[in-house]
Amino acid sequence: MADTILSVRDLSTRFFTEEGQVNAVESVSFDVEDGEIFGIVGESGSGKSVTALSVIDLIESPGRVTQGEIWYRNADLAEEFRGSKPEAVDGDLVDIRRLPKGVRRSLRGPSFSMVFQDPMSSFNPSITVGEQIAEAVEVQRRARSNPRSTRSRTQGYGLGSLLVDSLLPSKSYVDDESMDRAVELLDQVGIPDPEDRAEEYPHQFSGGMLQRAMIAQALAGEPDILIADEPTTALDVTIQAQILNLLRDLQEQEGMSILMITHDLGVIARMCDRVGVMYAGEVVERGPLADIFDNPVHPYTQGLLGSIPDVDDPSGRLEPISGNVPSLLDSEMPDACYFADRCPKAMTDCLTRIPEYELDGRHSVRCVLAEQEYDPADAVDSADAADAVDREVNADD
Amino acid sequence: MSLSRFLIKRSLQGLFVIWGVITVVFGLRFISPGDPANVLLPPDVDPEVRAQVIAELGLNEPLYVQYWQFVSGIPFGDLGLSLVTRTPVAARVVAKLPATLELAIAATVVAVVIAIPLGVLSATRRHQPADYGATVFSLVGISTPNFWLGVMLILVLAVQLNLFPTSQRPIGLDGIAMLLVGGEAGAAIRGFVTWLWHITLPAITLGTYFTALITRLTRSGMLDQLGQTYVRASRAKGLPETLVRYKHALRNTLIPVITVIGLQLGTLIGGAVITEAVFAWPGLGTLIINSINARDWPVLQGSLIVVAVGFVLVNILVDALYAYVNPQVAYD
Repeated sequence: MADTILSVRDLSTRFFTEEGQVNAVESVSFDVEDGEIFGIVGESGSGKSVTALSVIDLIESPGRVTQGEIWYRNADLAEEFRGSKPEAVDGDLVDIRRLPKGVRRSLRGPSFSMVFQDPMSSFNPSITVGEQIAEAVEVQRRARSNPRSTRSRTQGYGLGSLLVDSLLPSKSYVDDESMDRAVELLDQVGIPDPEDRAEEYPHQFSGGMLQRAMIAQALAGEPDILIADEPTTALDVTIQAQILNLLRDLQEQEGMSILMITHDLGVIARMCDRVGVMYAGEVVERGPLADIFDNPVHPYTQGLLGSIPDVDDPSGRLEPISGNVPSLLDSEMPDACYFADRCPKAMTDCLTRIPEYELDGRHSVRCVLAEQEYDPADAVDSADAADAVDREVNADD
Repeated sequence: MSLSRFLIKRSLQGLFVIWGVITVVFGLRFISPGDPANVLLPPDVDPEVRAQVIAELGLNEPLYVQYWQFVSGIPFGDLGLSLVTRTPVAARVVAKLPATLELAIAATVVAVVIAIPLGVLSATRRHQPADYGATVFSLVGISTPNFWLGVMLILVLAVQLNLFPTSQRPIGLDGIAMLLVGGEAGAAIRGFVTWLWHITLPAITLGTYFTALITRLTRSGMLDQLGQTYVRASRAKGLPETLVRYKHALRNTLIPVITVIGLQLGTLIGGAVITEAVFAWPGLGTLIINSINARDWPVLQGSLIVVAVGFVLVNILVDALYAYVNPQVAYD
């Protein structure tokens, strides 16, 4: 079994909005191993993207990671903090949440990088694509030449440097070497005429080409883990396949791991080695791809798989999951399984918080069905479950 | 389309606008009360003399002839003669132009230098004391009429505290330039200090509303940009926050801000009438007021045409600059 590069434990992220506290991510745990593609699948609003942003430390106010550990394997960091922060080090692993802010920030690029859903809005419209990729190269070049400054508040680049660079025409943040590397990266992701395209602006690119450029930018820091947040959702179907193939090829070439966030089970089936299914901020089931697809335990996972059209049997009706994703407002979250009110197999045991059950070391599920058979005699109607949930919420008030 | 073709095309369009303004300005005289002859002559004048003056002014000619006489000279810089002083209007307007341009540009500089950093600060420290301070400042700034502000500044800073002069423009940048050309560097520096001392209060008066406006615009634009995915992507690639904010977000924020600055500069050229009156600033605004009071139609018309030309020129420049800062806009 490969080593674990990233191990997320009990991670919770909350948003403190005017309407109240939103529990976007709730006690999420998963591991990403060396050179694997780990998929997180779920509906809109299930907390997939927030999980990804929590890992790369880009949650913005009013959101905050409120608890949990994010263990990341990095021998150098482990060595550096073994003495000063022993609680943040475990063997070669460091808990990046316990590291100083500057160190966490310096991990963006060489440790984690991210590809976003919509390439058109992920590039600055008024700067050439080549320069934006070169910036990502330049950050790491400067970090290597002056490691100390990268952890300072301004990363060694304050307003003074910016003024000098913008006033002197011969100077710029990005140097020629980084520009050349950006062109190489564009070439590597299969963009024809990379030298010319590097001079162009984002609006001159097609969506597929721009997503390739986005991937090139994410590769600039040679990351250990590439986080791909719905990388194909905004693209045409034909282009989607190209981008997925590209990601897989690059993952093999670079030996990196990919954390693939998607709502598309097709993407998961095609790409991932292991998968976590998210619902209402929780990972409800995770395990190797084959286990999840062939032997799903959680009724939600079963429901997701049941709502994929079957090419071999087009006459069969799809079975959608009834109801809607719950609001994640803390005041409206029940002390029950979050899926109980939509679950076709809800039982009285479901009206309490469900722990994560290990099925066989690699496959775990947050459902009582892991330990007991569905017993219709003990069933609560999902409407009853919803009522029970409502009563509970009202009782809290 | 290249920049030169763009400029030619926009200049031709601008000519049409200016022609339209000239026609409206010409027509204004006929819908306004007061006969030019009444201005020139005492009320009890002999009707024969009166008829002679009207004939001399060409007011008996058919309308199209008068219009042709009015329009045909303009391309050659001939705006007619002042009814009151019988001197060429063009020379008088040109003589007042530096004072107005100085004031407009000084007000713009005050606005830009204060407003953009303040707007950025306000956006990056959202819901913190600096943001509330900037918000209160811009609300007050937008709501303060500048005749009141000008008078208050004079009362407090000039009369009570004696920090600034109350009015006048003893020397202009044109005069300072002449001194420099003449090799009198010392006098030029003293002149510049005097100029700066005199222009401070009028520039603040004229620029306050504008400062407040640009602050609001910069704040909201910056907040909008900082929420964009590309800002998150820039942070995800490890870019220093300085670059994320000021190279990426601010650059896109400034695209609409530049447009507004340009449009405002255009209105400042013509809209400094009140400020100039309060500070006895000898610019176009003062000239316009004086010519209205004296029913000196040619001077009023000439001033308005010059303001219109300035407005059109500034707009063309802003459009050119806009395409330069925003690569998504082609010159077409």
